[in-house]
Amino acid sequence: MNKIKKLDFDLLEKLLKDIEKPGRYINNEVGARSKSPEPASDFYNLISMALVFPDIYEVGMSNLGLQILYDIVNKHRDFTVERVFSPWIDFEEKLREQNVKIFSLENRIFLDCFDLIGFTVQHELLYTNILNILDLGGININSRHRRDKFPLVCAGGPAIVNPQPLSRFMDFFVVGDGEEVIISILERVKIYKCSSKDKEWFLKEISRLDGIYIPGFYKFHYFLDGSIESIKPGRKVRKAIVEDLNKFEIVQNPIIPNIKPVHDRFAVEIMRGCGRGCRFCQAGIIYRPVRKREVESLIRQSAAGIKNTGYDEISFLSLSSSDYSEIEHLLDKITSSLKSKRLSISLPSMRLDSFNLNLAELIQSGRKTGLTFAPEAGSQRMRDIINKNIKENEIIDCIKVAFSRGWEKIKLYFMIGLPFENDEDISQIVELIEKVIMTAEDGLSRKKLPRLKINISINAFCPKPFTPFQWVAQDNTASLDSKFNYILKNVPKRYINISWTDSRKSIIECALSRGNELVGEVIEGAWKSGARFDNWTDFFKFHVWEKEFRKAGLDISFFTTRGFADDEILPWDVIDIGVSKKFLLREYDRSKRYLRDQDKI
Amino acid sequence: MIDQKDTCETRIRFKFYKKDEFKYLSHLDIIRIIVRALSRAELEIKYSRGYNPKPKINFSPPTPLGIVSLAEYADVLLDGGIEENEFKKKVNLKLKPQMQITEAKKIMIKTDSLMNDIAISLYGFKLCTPSSGKNLLEEFYADIEGDLRAKSDFSRSIFDLKIISDKENSDIILLKLSGYAKIFKEENNEFFKFNNFYIFFGDWLKKYRINIESVEKEELFVVRENALKTPMEVI
Ligand code: SF4
Repeated sequence: MNKIKKLDFDLLEKLLKDIEKPGRYINNEVGARSKSPEPASDFYNLISMALVFPDIYEVGMSNLGLQILYDIVNKHRDFTVERVFSPWIDFEEKLREQNVKIFSLENRIFLDCFDLIGFTVQHELLYTNILNILDLGGININSRHRRDKFPLVCAGGPAIVNPQPLSRFMDFFVVGDGEEVIISILERVKIYKCSSKDKEWFLKEISRLDGIYIPGFYKFHYFLDGSIESIKPGRKVRKAIVEDLNKFEIVQNPIIPNIKPVHDRFAVEIMRGCGRGCRFCQAGIIYRPVRKREVESLIRQSAAGIKNTGYDEISFLSLSSSDYSEIEHLLDKITSSLKSKRLSISLPSMRLDSFNLNLAELIQSGRKTGLTFAPEAGSQRMRDIINKNIKENEIIDCIKVAFSRGWEKIKLYFMIGLPFENDEDISQIVELIEKVIMTAEDGLSRKKLPRLKINISINAFCPKPFTPFQWVAQDNTASLDSKFNYILKNVPKRYINISWTDSRKSIIECALSRGNELVGEVIEGAWKSGARFDNWTDFFKFHVWEKEFRKAGLDISFFTTRGFADDEILPWDVIDIGVSKKFLLREYDRSKRYLRDQDKI
Repeated sequence: MIDQKDTCETRIRFKFYKKDEFKYLSHLDIIRIIVRALSRAELEIKYSRGYNPKPKINFSPPTPLGIVSLAEYADVLLDGGIEENEFKKKVNLKLKPQMQITEAKKIMIKTDSLMNDIAISLYGFKLCTPSSGKNLLEEFYADIEGDLRAKSDFSRSIFDLKIISDKENSDIILLKLSGYAKIFKEENNEFFKFNNFYIFFGDWLKKYRINIESVEKEELFVVRENALKTPMEVI
């Protein structure tokens, strides 16, 4: 049996000297739990898992999925889970310089001592951080070189629904909802650990579970042009689904970070999945079917959570919170049951068309948090193409309500580079923004007007696997940049704050999300050339990626600006996400005919 | 009968420490942790009126990141009545062992904010020399004392410098340093910073090959009628 090795506090203190935000690495938050792996006899029966979030602490601790898995695994008598985050650049340097392996927060156990290492991956541009963490743990990044029984390495989360780019690094992937399957996996790890069975046996054993993709069991054959000729075997992996969310109570004793996380609030998932069917939206497909939590228990558990944590903000999460049928009842009950507390409520994904006066009133009872709306496109034509089922007058009416109720801050999301886009679609983004400003000027009193703030976020469209637009050619950087510059030049300057993600970042994001297993070599190369935190604009190095694609003999445009053929075998065809390719193709065809689909909910 | 206390408010000053892992938390983190612990203990902090209501709680000046403090203070105005010990017990249950309230006392008189009132911070630390350096340390002490009093601006922020020998190990002495914040503040419009000590003493420390260890903020003082008092003594 592996001996458990830990970092002692003295050494930690030495490492933390001159480190930015040392609070990231010290654990001991309220809600943090750990089963001490000592004495060793106990530990033999305890299966240990490292839950790794490949971004910094403040980001990872804002992720509800992490808190949910942490809660579920630690509640189980036989299992323990500890957290690991990406060390910031300065701490990585320290670790490498002092030759200390990366360790978990709770018991400061070195990463390679865990039985199972599970990465939860939220974004493609964090892939290099995954390799970096494995390497910092003294673990070979390539799965086939890891011959020992432990640690087992796996990945889950929305950014691995196409597992291929990471396939060479992982022993297995977990696709879909993690709550149930994580326990099934750990039960099998336990059997594996207490037996003389080999890794192959273990992988076969878990491959029978829903949601488990084992790259080693699949072979890809390619045509000369680089597209896939066949995948063997043809058996698809069905996504893991939790049929009834109510089976798991919401996390009422979450870890409360000691240092300020990105989202410093009590988070509650009220609904999973979204039935709106916007054609660009990956989340809308991969989290299907729509499942909601029962409202009365939600109210009870939320109130308990607020009491346990002392948070002054509660956030009701779902892909489309205002589609939750009892939303008003929920908000009403929460505000009245916690009247004396100064509680503010946020609904991060409010839809414009169901935004109404009552909802506005209820949210207003808290601190005046800004409102976020996502029209996505400026023209009706384009909103029809992408199936964003909303009309301009609805947008304006909703914003009118918001301003008359006293909001002064709103955020609007737009996308550019959408399929079949023309100049008119772009100029109408500017026109819509102008109309929003006019509405605000009408609706706000003279006193309030100077405080008006409209944040506009413009993103480059990136075709994603499992969406009706998965076949679409991505717009090129020159075209994206000129569209953005047009908007920047023509949009009124007053009240407006406009942000734009580097189009070259979107290109790499697209190449990684639509990549095949060969892209793994690029990721490895980029990491070796120093790529880390690629999602952070300051660290993103396009030339490194360009160079590594070239070195691997791959053309970035093959994965990005190339339109995929309808009958092409796609790298992610090994996964059955619950929505058929036929359905996606039909939706794609409809968009071509500018047909607007009926709202499905 | 209606309990009178429920309708009143209580002003409490409390002293707490931050040590071990928690010494790596910033002042703002500590404020957030305390406010949330009060809320978990179901003690309601009063808020100011106005457009942007603020909780009525204020803290003593920040302790640098990475330094243990046994003397953090806060004044809070609570809705309702509560006994000091009850307050301490309730809140401590909601705090981690690395941060605990050691003393709580009702404020009966009008006071200035802690930030303004605190005049002196007392830091304790050990000075260690690599080998039998008792003489070395004495030389060092003589050296800095002379220099301090004679020519440095910094001298005005040194209130007291005491050397106490460590009983077990004669190579280690305990040096107490107090920053005389009032004077310092008038001059630089800035509070005494422990880092300034490092900067100022750096050369001497190097010269005598002395390491500073186990730095701790030990106590804070306010000045009342030319005498030093702890913040608890003046309310
Ligand atoms: S409303 Fe549209 S964009 Fe939002 S989650 Fe649902 S499908 Fe996606």
